Amino acid sequence: MSDALGAVELSAPSARSAVGGAGRRILRSPLLLIGALGITLIGTAALFAPVIAPYDPSAQNLANILAPPIWAGGNTEHLLGTDVLGRDVASRLLFGARNSLFIAFSAMLLGSSLGLATGLLAGFFGGKVDSVLMRLGDVQLAFPFILLAIAILGVVANRGALLLVVVLGIPGWIIYARVVRSRVLAEKEKDYVAAATALGAGPWRRLFRYVFPSVWQVVPVIALLDVGFLIIMESTLSFLGLGLPPPAATWGGILADGRRNMVVSAWLPILPGLAIMITVLSINLLGDGLASVFDTRHVRGGFRRLRPTTPAPAVDSDGERLLAVRGLHVEFPLPGGTLKAVRGIDFDLAGGETLGVVGESGSGKSVTAAAVIQLLDPPGRVSAGSVVFDGDDLARIGDRRMAALRGRQVAMIFQNPAASLNPVLTIGFQLREAIRHVTDADRGTVADVARRALQMVGIADPERISRQYPFQLSGGMNQRVMIAMTLAARPRLLIADEPTTALDTTTQAQILSRLVELTERDDISLLLITHDIALVSEYADTMLVLYAGEVCEYGPVRRVIASPHHPYTRALLQSVPRVENAAERLEAIPGELPDPRQDRVGCPFAARCPEVMDVCRDVVPPRFDIGPGHLAACHLWAPQPVEAVTS
Amino acid sequence: MTTPLLEVRHLSKEFTVRSVGKKQGSTIRAVEDVSFDIAPGETLGLVGESGCGKSTLGRTVLRLLEPTSGEVVFDGAVVGADDTSLLRRRAQIVFQDPYSSLPPRMRVGRILAEPLLIHHVVPRSEIGERVGSLLSAVGLSVDLARSFPHQLSGGQRQRVSIARALAVEPSLIVADEAVSALDVSVQAQILNLLKDLQAERGLAYLFISHDLGVVRYMSHRVAVMYLGRIVEMGAAPELAIRPLHPYTVGLLSAVPKISAEGVTVRIDIESPNHSDIVGGCAFAPRCPMAQPVCATDRPDLAEWEPGRWAACHFASQVPERLGQPIATSGGPR
Repeated sequence: MSDALGAVELSAPSARSAVGGAGRRILRSPLLLIGALGITLIGTAALFAPVIAPYDPSAQNLANILAPPIWAGGNTEHLLGTDVLGRDVASRLLFGARNSLFIAFSAMLLGSSLGLATGLLAGFFGGKVDSVLMRLGDVQLAFPFILLAIAILGVVANRGALLLVVVLGIPGWIIYARVVRSRVLAEKEKDYVAAATALGAGPWRRLFRYVFPSVWQVVPVIALLDVGFLIIMESTLSFLGLGLPPPAATWGGILADGRRNMVVSAWLPILPGLAIMITVLSINLLGDGLASVFDTRHVRGGFRRLRPTTPAPAVDSDGERLLAVRGLHVEFPLPGGTLKAVRGIDFDLAGGETLGVVGESGSGKSVTAAAVIQLLDPPGRVSAGSVVFDGDDLARIGDRRMAALRGRQVAMIFQNPAASLNPVLTIGFQLREAIRHVTDADRGTVADVARRALQMVGIADPERISRQYPFQLSGGMNQRVMIAMTLAARPRLLIADEPTTALDTTTQAQILSRLVELTERDDISLLLITHDIALVSEYADTMLVLYAGEVCEYGPVRRVIASPHHPYTRALLQSVPRVENAAERLEAIPGELPDPRQDRVGCPFAARCPEVMDVCRDVVPPRFDIGPGHLAACHLWAPQPVEAVTS
Repeated sequence: MTTPLLEVRHLSKEFTVRSVGKKQGSTIRAVEDVSFDIAPGETLGLVGESGCGKSTLGRTVLRLLEPTSGEVVFDGAVVGADDTSLLRRRAQIVFQDPYSSLPPRMRVGRILAEPLLIHHVVPRSEIGERVGSLLSAVGLSVDLARSFPHQLSGGQRQRVSIARALAVEPSLIVADEAVSALDVSVQAQILNLLKDLQAERGLAYLFISHDLGVVRYMSHRVAVMYLGRIVEMGAAPELAIRPLHPYTVGLLSAVPKISAEGVTVRIDIESPNHSDIVGGCAFAPRCPMAQPVCATDRPDLAEWEPGRWAACHFASQVPERLGQPIATSGGPR
């Protein structure tokens, strides 16, 4: 399932659109915009305070003290009134903003540079450097820094802005250092850093040229939130009389003055309080907003299964058939354009039959599997076509009916079994739960059923395995458990999406032969999704070759392997080095997959096809009958040469 | 016989793993007493299942990991712990994952310029030109120099990785699962590119892969690893057609084949943990031919036939007892 979306994320056009997507997400997030607007306004006001402010912030006018603000009966000369010394409150607030923001911002710069540097060193060099720096950090975090700040500022006679910046800024380093260190620890283990070592890059070059560019981005968001915190701290110190000494205007200082005259003029303490609150709120809104915009894992909205709006294609009834897929189209509407992952796929699956679906990444094979069991990753949807399972069109039936079929009639196993198992519950517990959920086994018999299920998939000592947790077992063992769990429900259709791709060759052979044996015994239809055409040739009855979301070739495995009729099938057979075949040189397919977002004319394989004709570029090849049950979508097999028609 | 380009002598690499609640860490012997040679222009394939230590071996050979014991001789000179400059200049590595092996925030041009700058391969003024010729050597358009890795496809990125390795004009490239993450149609392009580069530049490869088909296609000789040790080594076609170690037989017969001929020797239990092997042959618990002696005496890697090495007490009986895992009839198509 992740296959198609993975290809999307990694392809070139989408990488660019992801950046555009961030831009769009910023514009769509009103809280972030409010925060940004607030910061801009306050920042501009602070910067231009000397120009905007109507009065000198320390100019006293004892003739006009404690004048009320304009809405409380004041005049236009002092919009926000005056304080106890007759100073203009509006001007003092503007200059207060200037002082508070300057100190908080400088302190942040000091703390973040210190933290970035220590985090880089501790993470990259590890060992003693790391231990010493991180223990220092622990001490720092354990100590109430506001007390230290009060003590230092209390004994120093003349407190300048520099001292405040140092006292406020230095304690912040540890916040940055910890985050940066953990990012460095993760990043320095990556292969590109090892490659740089192999190239002879020294440690400093690796740190600054390779690791640093990938880790510094964590700093700005922390820094933004830190500024908010520092503004409050600076105001607290000023309120306590430990900030910039009078007559300098600070928000904390104005607040303290106001508190003393609260009875006469209630507005005096409220105004600086509002200023602090609005500033910090704006900063936090902006910080949170940016964090969620740049965190791409953040997915908005829940999952809703969408049904196709087009009418279902007619399916002729056939008693043999369990599953009939007709004209299946699957789309993923994404910010960079709609990705058409599956473009008109048809196939049938009889009871007990094994159909191998082969294709490379981007072929739509996993998306097809997910569409059958109706578990498409959002925002994927079946946009047209039908998936008729035992008379029900799975693309159109209600969620409740689908949920009832899923796991009982139609089941699925995935490439990574450990991700499908709960890491904190034992294998036995999970297996028994699953069996009780999908069968009518009661408490007494469920343990017995579970044991037999494990034996069935080739687990020699079910008792021991049952007591273990998924992480204690190998990938192969976990996949056996998943198969046991899935088959316990006796489904009629089993979808296996690359079930052994993550496993070793010897394990793959054991598991697949067991799986095919079990599905044959119980008459279960198997949809085997894989990139390995040899696997299909060993284990499947029929095969479907997909390329770029379209069917290339479909037919009985023996026939298709013995006489492949689509150039892509041939290329797949010839481009893979085989242990049984001592080829001197492989027939590589030149070029790469077409863009899944674009509409196409002609054959999807035309650009890479060694036998391409003019008609291939203009006309979608129909599927021609090659033999019994054998179809190939290639113009080479047209009964009469087709004239190129341009529409 | 020509002088080997690379000689690996009794190389071992151990890792200490600390587990929760235990004071004493346990030791994992990822690579144990491994020796082999690679001649100039030769490809040695290194094949084995996950956890067998093949990637650790590749990295230890290049001193990206410090060996626990043993030595690496490169072009006649022993590579010392502090003196890796020769190795850095003449041996390079290409990794599996084309998404994590390129620095995400460097443009392709800069990625390729880095090795040139580090080793002063060419004067600064010629770097741009050299980057262009590296890109065309791996079949990429020169315009890609301005792209970031995330703007490239998997195949293009792997070509950039190869170009980066070529920049210092090495004589040995360790290819660590270099094509495993690629789609089959792109995989063939990269394999052919590696072969062409070998022919043009006389490169030697240590070609690490879990895929026997790929290893057979690429290699002159193949070494099979099992739980940290080489259990069989020999010329690629002979080893594939007539293996001398039961593990190689099992491995070959487990490979899915398009033409289903040849015997099937299923290895029916899973690989045990390193720590479970105390004495004797590590493969004995899974071996269809195991005798009492296999549980007590560990067989050494010995030359059973000219150029054919196997670590099995009964290597000479393997072809007769287990048969041919693959059909020999399928020649070049």
